[in-house]
Amino acid sequence: MELNMNHLTKKFGDFTAVDHLDLTMTQGVYGLLGVNGAGKTTLMRMLCTLLEPTEGTITCNGKDILKMGGDYRKLLGYLPQDFGFYPEFTVQDYLLYIAALKGIRPAVARRRVKELISRVGLANAAKKKMKKLSGGMKRRAGIAQAMLNNPKILILDEPTAGLDPNERIRFRNLISELSEDRLVLLSTHIVSDVEYIANEICLMKDGRFVHQGTSEQLISSMTDGVWKCTASKEQAAFLMKKYKVSNMKTGAHGIELRMISRERPLPDAVREEATLEDLFLYYFGEKAGEDHAAI
Amino acid sequence: MLRFELKKVLSKPMNKAALLLLAAVLIIGSILTIRDVTYVEENGNHISGPAAARHLKEDKNKWKGELTEEVFKEVIRENAGINAIGQEDRTLDSEKNDSEKSGSEENDSDRIQESNRIDARTQGFSDIRQLLNLAFCEMHNYDYYRADSLSQEDAASFYERRISGLKDWFESEEVKGSFSEQEKQYLIGKYEEMKTPLYYEYADGWKALLDSQYLPTLMMIVVLIIGFLVSGIFSDEFLLKADSIFFSARHGRDRAVVSKMGAGFVLITLLYWGVVLLYSLIVLGALGFGGGECAVQTGLSNWNSIYNISYFQDFLLTVLGGYVGCLFIMTISMLVSAKTHSTIFAITVPFILTCLPPFLGRIEMLTRIMTLFPDQMLTINKNLEDFALYSIGGKIFGAVSVMIPMYVILFGILFPVIYWVYRRAQVK
Repeated sequence: MELNMNHLTKKFGDFTAVDHLDLTMTQGVYGLLGVNGAGKTTLMRMLCTLLEPTEGTITCNGKDILKMGGDYRKLLGYLPQDFGFYPEFTVQDYLLYIAALKGIRPAVARRRVKELISRVGLANAAKKKMKKLSGGMKRRAGIAQAMLNNPKILILDEPTAGLDPNERIRFRNLISELSEDRLVLLSTHIVSDVEYIANEICLMKDGRFVHQGTSEQLISSMTDGVWKCTASKEQAAFLMKKYKVSNMKTGAHGIELRMISRERPLPDAVREEATLEDLFLYYFGEKAGEDHAAI
Repeated sequence: MLRFELKKVLSKPMNKAALLLLAAVLIIGSILTIRDVTYVEENGNHISGPAAARHLKEDKNKWKGELTEEVFKEVIRENAGINAIGQEDRTLDSEKNDSEKSGSEENDSDRIQESNRIDARTQGFSDIRQLLNLAFCEMHNYDYYRADSLSQEDAASFYERRISGLKDWFESEEVKGSFSEQEKQYLIGKYEEMKTPLYYEYADGWKALLDSQYLPTLMMIVVLIIGFLVSGIFSDEFLLKADSIFFSARHGRDRAVVSKMGAGFVLITLLYWGVVLLYSLIVLGALGFGGGECAVQTGLSNWNSIYNISYFQDFLLTVLGGYVGCLFIMTISMLVSAKTHSTIFAITVPFILTCLPPFLGRIEMLTRIMTLFPDQMLTINKNLEDFALYSIGGKIFGAVSVMIPMYVILFGILFPVIYWVYRRAQVK
C-alpha cells in the first residue's frame, strides 16, 4: 500500500489551505502535527475524497483516488475531527448503518459490529442512543466505525481532542493497537499523542510541510538548544520576551523556566535534552503557545 | 441501507410529532367531511353523518337510472306539487301564527321548522332539481328557484340547454375575446361528447369526497407534512456533521445516495397514499360507495365540466394527480436539501409551491401562469369546471390533460438530478 501526494494544493478563494504538498506514505503511523489552521483537516479531507484538490493529485498504488472512487474508499477508515452521528440511533444501529455504507454484508456486519463494540469498550452501551454517550464513548464509537471495514488506510483527525487525560491515554493505546498492518495518518496539535505512537511525523505550517521524519530526527534538526534556569520575576519577564519559553513554573527560589535559545540565556542556565514539545514551540513559535495550553 | 435511512427520518422527535399531527388532521378531516352530509327528517329536524347518508340513499335511489326527459318531467311535476302544498301550509301557518303569537322567536322557529319539513319532501330528487336549475340558468348565474318556474315541456330541452348555455356564454361581455374560435369549438365539442342521458343514483359519498374542499386541503397538509419529513434527508448529514463519514464510505457517493432518494420516494408514496386512501375509505365507508359510475356533471360543482368522466374516474384522476404533484414538490424540496445542505430552505419549498400560488393567482397578469403551478395538481377535483386550455402543436388540451403528463415528465427529469447533485457534494 502506497499513498502519494503530488503537488497537492487546495485553495478556498484567495486562501491557500494546502500548498503544493509532496509525500509518500506506506505502512506505519504518520503523525501530522501543526497548529490550528495549518491545513491538516483540509489535507485529510482530500485524502478521504471529501474535497477535490485545486491542483495536484493523490494516488493509491499509482491510481488517482478520485478516479478509483468506491474502490479507494473501501480501503479507507476515517474519524473526522467534528465527529457527527445520528442522535436517535443506538450505538449498534449506528455501526450497522455505517457498515452498510461501507458495503459490508449484513451477516458479516453484525459479527464485526459486535466484535468492535467489545474491543472499544462499548459492550454495555451497545443499545444506548448515541446522544446519550459521553464524549469519550462517542469517540470510541467513532473509531469503531472507522475500523468496521478493517481499513488499509486509517485517517484520524484530532482523535483525542476534548478528551480527559484518562480517556486520551486509553484512546491513544487503542489507536496503537489498531495500527498494525495498515497506514495510519493521525493529525493532532497535541504533541504527546504523536510522540507516543507515530513512526514518522510531519510538521505542517501554513499549508506546507516544514519538516518531516522520526521524532529523533526532528529533534536533532533543531539548531537551537533547550535551556533550563531559575530566574527572578523581573528576569523571567525579560526572558519571555526574548526567547521561546516552553515551560514556566513558580517555585520557592524564583521562577523555573524552560526555553529555546541558540546561546545560553543566563550564566547559570543548564542545557536540557530537547523534546517534541520543544520542537513544536521551536517551529510554531507564538501560535504554538496557545495550543500548548491544552496539552 | 434504505431501512436505516427511513429510521433516520422517522426517529426524529420533530418528525414523530409531525406524523401525529397528520393523523389528527386525517381524523378531524374525515369527521368534518362525513358530518357535511345532512338529511332533514319528516319532522323538520336535521341529522348528519352516516345516518343521514342512509336516509338520503333510500330517498335518492328511488330516482336511480337514466335521466331521461320523462324523469325531468316527473321531477318538475313533483317539485311543483310539493311547492303548492308548501304554499298552502305556509299560508295556513301564517294565518294561525298571525292570530296567536305574532313576531315571537317561537314563531320564527316554527316557520323554519315548517320550511324544513317542505324541503325534506324534495330531498329524494334534490340533485335532479339542482341539475334543472343549472341547465336553465345562465352559465355562472345560478338561481336556486329556477326549477320552480319550469314547465314539463322544458324537460325535453334539458341537455340542449347545457350546450346552448355555453354558446350564449361565449357571446356574453364577461368572456368576449377570452377564447379563440378553435378553443370555443373544442369546448363545445367536449360538451357534445358528454354521454346522454346521464346516469343517476345516490352518490353523496363521492360528492362529499370530491366536491368539497376537504380533500384538496388534506392533500395540501399532507404535502406540507411530508415536506417537513423529507426536507432533511439530504441536508441532515451536513447539519449533524455526519457528512464526512457518509461521503468517505465506500458507497457514500453511489448506493447510499440512491438509498436516500429511495427513502424519500417510499415516505412520499406511503404517507400520501396511506392518508388519502384511508381518508377516502373512511368517508366512503361512512357515506356509501354507490354512485361511482355517475358522471361528474351530475354534481352541482361539475355541471360545466369539460371532462366527461365518472366520479370514480374523477377520484382516480384527483388522487393520481395529487400524487404526481406531491412527488414533484417533494423532489424540488429534496433537490434544494441536497444542493444547499439547508433543511430550512428545503422545508420552505412545499410552502412556496402550495400556499403562495393561490395568492399570486389573484394578480391578473399571473393568473394564467399560476394555473400551471404544482398546487393545481392537488386540487384537480376542484378544477374540473375550469376552462383553462392550452394549445400544443396546434391542438387544444384541457389543463388537467396537460399538467399530469407535464409533471410526470418534470419529476422524471428532476429526480435523477438529486443523485447527480448530491454525489458530487464537497465537505468543506
